Amino acid sequence: MGLSHHRIGILFSAEGPYGLVGRAMLNGALLAVEEVNAEGELILEPVICDPRGVLGGYVTGAEQLLGAGIRHVVGCYTSSSRKEIIPIFEKRDALLWYPSHYEGFETSANVVYTGAAPNQHIVPLVRHLLERGGRTAFCVGSNYIWAWENNRILRETLAIAGGQVAGERYLAVGETSFEQVIEAILATRPDFIFNTLIGTSAYHFLRDFRSTCRARGIDQPRTMPVASCSLAEPELEAIGPEAVDGHLSSSVYFTSIDTPRNRAFTAAYAARFPEGPTASADTESSYIAVHLLARALARAGTQDAATVRRAACADGFDAPQGPVRLDETTLHACLTPRIGLSTAASRFTIVAQAEEPVAPDPYLVRSDPRVVPVSRRPRLRVVP
Amino acid sequence: MTNPRLIQNFSGAQALLIVPPSTVTDILAGTLMKLGLTVASVIPAGEAPWLDFGILNPEHHIVIVDGDLPLPGLAASAVPDLPPVPVVGLVGVEAPSRLKGLLQLGATGLLRKPIHGASVYAALFLAVNEHNRRRLLEERLARHEERRRGRRHVVKAILRLMQEHGLDDDAAYEALRRDAMRARQPLEAYCEALVQARPSIAAAAVTPRLARS
Repeated sequence: MGLSHHRIGILFSAEGPYGLVGRAMLNGALLAVEEVNAEGELILEPVICDPRGVLGGYVTGAEQLLGAGIRHVVGCYTSSSRKEIIPIFEKRDALLWYPSHYEGFETSANVVYTGAAPNQHIVPLVRHLLERGGRTAFCVGSNYIWAWENNRILRETLAIAGGQVAGERYLAVGETSFEQVIEAILATRPDFIFNTLIGTSAYHFLRDFRSTCRARGIDQPRTMPVASCSLAEPELEAIGPEAVDGHLSSSVYFTSIDTPRNRAFTAAYAARFPEGPTASADTESSYIAVHLLARALARAGTQDAATVRRAACADGFDAPQGPVRLDETTLHACLTPRIGLSTAASRFTIVAQAEEPVAPDPYLVRSDPRVVPVSRRPRLRVVP
Repeated sequence: MTNPRLIQNFSGAQALLIVPPSTVTDILAGTLMKLGLTVASVIPAGEAPWLDFGILNPEHHIVIVDGDLPLPGLAASAVPDLPPVPVVGLVGVEAPSRLKGLLQLGATGLLRKPIHGASVYAALFLAVNEHNRRRLLEERLARHEERRRGRRHVVKAILRLMQEHGLDDDAAYEALRRDAMRARQPLEAYCEALVQARPSIAAAAVTPRLARS
């Protein structure tokens, strides 16, 4: 009897506005497919579809893949693309393996989430900043759900700790002009900047902010560090040498994790994709998704969504970041939060790390306060 | 007056389901538990649905009721026309009589059957916060109504002070306001006590002044 053979869909935008991340995720998935096939327990045949960053492309791609009889698709980076295709997966009872950190507040029985939930990225970052003594934040973000929701969590956590958000600015995705924002930050002099800008906007902001501070004799990394929960190694390379160091990032994976398992992963990745892009948390997350899927398929002996889902939850995987397993209730992964500080070599030095994997809490039922806290200023006045 | 506190995390709350057991209940209960709630079914076997208001705690309970049921006998709350806890209605048959029933129960959030897990948090968020907002508005309205009834005592007290101490109306009002504040009483209650403590000697004397204007 031959090896069981499974066609799986791969749905990443290797071209388009976030093509750099898409290629890093595609590479992670392909590396895992090749490793699984080399192990010889089963054969995965990847069917690759590129929506080129267009929402409609995801719908067409998902319809095509599922229409061709494929039951498992690894894909999507943005939340909008995931939300767009979930109904298709629910209708056909197929599984979407979603490998990106995101803002939470979702659990679909037809999605397996292998990236970080908010309690595994923003919550540890805010705690770390508070421990460093940060009380006043200035938020700069791209104008969409990722920035809005992360800023909400930051604002509420700071309010409880007696801190405050001194300013909040949202800019259109792709915006590259930051003079006014930088002047507003310098007028406020916050303890830290919370950055939720994405893509080229983030690189421009970090470069311009650093050069303005330098011109005015301000030691920006020391006095006003920029903290993010989406900044990864390929992006550090895009920022350039003038402004790459001294930024804080919260992530469940950094390429600098110093374990034999991760060294083997980064070496295999570099050998397989010498032309890049550099591996990142999203690469590792796609890699985990394919491995978990392959192990579940092998255990289940069928492609049926419910059977594979059960098999996936009963298993774990020794990932580059450490042990990873799925939480059966939420279908999100238990992952290990870390805080990295960027270096001149476009890598991260890990400055803090959870002692063990943290269970996912996508609705923040264990992390959010019950009542929305409000920053309070004295409102009493003397009445004669 | 501050706005009601916005509730965003329902962990620790209990959902009381007045919903016949079915796959609808399974999906609903599963999602509620993911959101950190505990779930209890309060549908009695073989009887018309009925809910004891005595057990309900506004800080703890959320009632989820199926609009397709013969609607349960829910008693009146302390504040008229408002249930004591947030109510989410499940809509099956979208007929006016069924929707009216849910409205009368005070449903401030709706979930369409068959229930989709991804709409439960939004329905809870709306139901709980809208319920709290309405409760606050009703209480505020009741307080204003009470104060409105008390204004006649304020008018009487102003007139008495004007007469007895030769003050103008602004000075009399200011003196009463300050005394009420020192006594830590609402102005209306303070004036009512003042007027009732010494029945008026001045009602007759006031009339000509009013008549003059």
